[in-house]
Amino acid sequence: MLQALANGLMLGGLYACIAVGFSLVWGVLNIINMMHGSLIIFAGYVTYFIWYGTKLSPIVLLLPVIIALFIFGYLLQYLVINRVVKRPVLTTLTLTFGLDMILYNFMNSFFEATPRRISLNWGSFTIADIVLPIDRLVAMALAFILTFVLYLLLRTSKVGRAIVAVRMDRDAASLMGIQIPQIYAITFGLGAAMAGACGVLFAVAFPVTTNISGLLLGKAFVICVIGGLGSVPGALIGGLALGLIESFGSHWFGPQNAITIGFILMLILLMVRPTGLLGVKGYE
Amino acid sequence: MNKSITAFLLVFITLAAMPFIADNYFVKLATFIAMYSALALSWNFIGGFTGYPSFATAAFIGLGSYAGAILQNAGINLVTAWVFASIITIIFAAFLGFAILRVKGHYFAVGSIAVVEVLRLITSSWSSFTGGGDGLNVKIMEGGPDFAGRVFLYAMLCVMLLAFLTTLWVDRSKFGFGLKAIKQNEDAADMVGINVTIYKIAAFSLSAVFCGTTGAIYASWIGYIAPVDAFSILTTLKVPVMVLLGGEGTVFGPVLGALVFVILEESVWAHFLEANQAILGLIIVFLIFFLPGGILKIDYRKLLAKIRGVKGA
Amino acid sequence: MSKLFLKIFSIVGILFATNVIYAQETIKIGAPLALTGGLADEGKKQQIAYDMWLKKVNAAGGIQVGNKKMKVELITYDYQTDEKRAQSLAEKLITQDKVSFLTSPFGSGHTKVVAGVAERYGIPVVAPVASSESVFNQGYKNLFGTLAANSGIVSNMVTLFTKQYPQTKKIAILGREDVFPKAMAAEMKIYAEKAGLEIVFNELYPVGTLDHAASLSKIKAAKPDWIYVSGYTQDLVLARKQMSDLGVNAPIITMITGPAYKEFTDALGPLAEGISSATWWHHSLTYKSKDVFGSTTDFYKEFVAANKSDPDYVHASSAAALIALQMAIEKAGSLDKDKVREQLASLDVITFYGPIKFGSNGMNQSRELPIIQVQKGKVVVLYPDAIKQANLQLVK
Repeated sequence: MLQALANGLMLGGLYACIAVGFSLVWGVLNIINMMHGSLIIFAGYVTYFIWYGTKLSPIVLLLPVIIALFIFGYLLQYLVINRVVKRPVLTTLTLTFGLDMILYNFMNSFFEATPRRISLNWGSFTIADIVLPIDRLVAMALAFILTFVLYLLLRTSKVGRAIVAVRMDRDAASLMGIQIPQIYAITFGLGAAMAGACGVLFAVAFPVTTNISGLLLGKAFVICVIGGLGSVPGALIGGLALGLIESFGSHWFGPQNAITIGFILMLILLMVRPTGLLGVKGYE
Repeated sequence: MNKSITAFLLVFITLAAMPFIADNYFVKLATFIAMYSALALSWNFIGGFTGYPSFATAAFIGLGSYAGAILQNAGINLVTAWVFASIITIIFAAFLGFAILRVKGHYFAVGSIAVVEVLRLITSSWSSFTGGGDGLNVKIMEGGPDFAGRVFLYAMLCVMLLAFLTTLWVDRSKFGFGLKAIKQNEDAADMVGINVTIYKIAAFSLSAVFCGTTGAIYASWIGYIAPVDAFSILTTLKVPVMVLLGGEGTVFGPVLGALVFVILEESVWAHFLEANQAILGLIIVFLIFFLPGGILKIDYRKLLAKIRGVKGA
Repeated sequence: MSKLFLKIFSIVGILFATNVIYAQETIKIGAPLALTGGLADEGKKQQIAYDMWLKKVNAAGGIQVGNKKMKVELITYDYQTDEKRAQSLAEKLITQDKVSFLTSPFGSGHTKVVAGVAERYGIPVVAPVASSESVFNQGYKNLFGTLAANSGIVSNMVTLFTKQYPQTKKIAILGREDVFPKAMAAEMKIYAEKAGLEIVFNELYPVGTLDHAASLSKIKAAKPDWIYVSGYTQDLVLARKQMSDLGVNAPIITMITGPAYKEFTDALGPLAEGISSATWWHHSLTYKSKDVFGSTTDFYKEFVAANKSDPDYVHASSAAALIALQMAIEKAGSLDKDKVREQLASLDVITFYGPIKFGSNGMNQSRELPIIQVQKGKVVVLYPDAIKQANLQLVK
């Protein structure tokens, strides 16, 4: 039982990281970024190949990957997505879906779908009969730290507060002199950067393959609904919640049903409290 | 309006004549075009007319497939199974609609995708009933490929025709007017006295019924269904793209979009072995930027201006 | 203007004529493959094997059909791991490209779809990578699979392992909810029970599981002597890693069909040590045959020379499927579909891949399928005795 709790929390930390970038983009730009899963996997592959070639620890790679993906996201938003950012969800979703197909194809052609695993073999340590694999612990810890850093960024820095202002009321923010396209680009860049970070951490603990990019995206959806959009603490809570639900669900109902429970919960929440546990009233 | 009907008839008759003018490959292609047209027309009810971007299409197709397959395996005859599958789908859609149509926009979109996943997962686990990951066999129809090809072509064409007629009716009726009002401004529509909830559920149910029928027909056609393919996320994302391509909210748009999409897929990018997904992605991006209203709503001057780089009005 | 027209006409005419002439001289075999999408890696393996066979056959002048030799043309389409496209492309190959025979892609589900189309047209299909009984249970007369049935693998394994280590009493079974792995899990349950083992855990995980921690924790608590997991490479790699993380261990760990693939051993490195499995073919087998390769060793040598890596059963079975087709055509002496089908149904030969004899449902007869284990980083054969290299070792 306690093991299930530990498993759930460790998974949850990673899940939170998956969702936080996605939630930010959705909450601020009103865009459902279908590329999010693929961006995570992309970062995972890059990490793997650099590790394979140079044996550099993935932790070291965290910062460069984050920066690289931030730039990628920023440019993508500024040059491409910005043109359609005001359109309804169907349009933006379809656009990111199309972009995702391009990225996915690219990864399949260059990296191939074979599962790649970074063998770190850090082992695990045991407390009172509960086994805690170190790589997952590290991934969870880093996920929390990064999420916290992002939170601080949003709360205290000038840019961060501008982002929050745009999320709350775009027109008012614009009237206050905030450059909306700039903020959008930065936000998307941040979203991509977090996806990148998640990818690096993911590669530490899981085999990387393009086959699961859709799965990761699905988790991001569920977490955002559970935790609330555009809110970093929300993504955290949502991630932990999903991790725990899947872990206990698997424990009690069998692995077959664990994932289903997550989705059903999401549907129920959508009907009853769409803004999630911590969300500010999101966009319609 | 008459233009739409004429255009439709042209497409319809060409497809129906396929067995007499070309070989089975084209008959199959025509069947796919008819199927996707029916799906696109269905989506149009909730996505085009009412403005609720639904990604639940695959949920209804899958449900229809499994309902049809299970009924057929239980001994019920072909067409009856299809009809029952459609009824089951529409009932499911009505209940589902009652639940998730309370939310709009993004949440609705996300919820509808979730439904597809949930149904897939349930189908996959409930193996005693659905065969789970093994999938379900359906007895292949006797009679050789030419005969079978024709049967299924005409079956799909029937559904396509029904969907089109329903679209025509909806477009001209008070019901359709109400839906379009909801799309424009739901609260205002509500205040004017339109029973928004009933209208939305009706549109959603309409968007489901033909999907269920095509799903059931498809199961009988292929002879085998499995959860991952029956509840295919790719399909559920492709169908709105087809409608966008042709022109959402119009009468003929979905058919045109389905036609162009399937032909493009068959002739153009299937030949690029490694890059076919990327090309589909590029086509989608192109569509979003240069054909925002779909082919039917192309404003040629604006289009040229955009291509030249000048920001359109 | 008319000159241009004449030019075009003559070019078209020549092309048409050569096409027609060319078409009559080659045997067309259709190959729908997943070259992109989720099953792309497997599809590419099939392609490599097909190409090897094709080169050899055409280098020798082609297949002997009656009193002349005809070259083979393999028409490949990528069906993008999408079921609808698989169906549509199978039909295209038959009606447009006018293939005489088909091969089927990796995996049971899509094999079934292609077989369904072929059955309608009466076109013989050879299936190199489908081994579940449920694929062959629709009464198709045109479907012939070179992999033997799943059950053969498990029964021998249970007998061998329990004989060598009679203290093995408890087994935990974890399977993937997907045609083949599910069947393997079910088979193990049957044979384990027959052998008197106690099944302490038996569950299926859904397609797309990212985390096995919950199941593995339960397995750990049950303290089994034998852990048996089925799934595709990425599932097994993840499961093994998580087992190591969570301290889940047992003296015998079997993963179907993990070690049969190089990707598995590469990804796990030292963690793959001691994992046992079974496979439909191993390159250390010593069959001698009258096919284009001549013997298992020769096939192996050629493959390694061309690809710098070892072939696995997917490669071998794919080449074998085409060899079976070739032999049937040669025996029939013609390309007539009914005659070839008859010859396929009555085929009883030894190939570099092993014996090929199709049963009444189209599956290759069961035989002694190799059981393997990773020992000191290499894959060794434990069974059958004829090619045994080592005994089963317990996992440390």
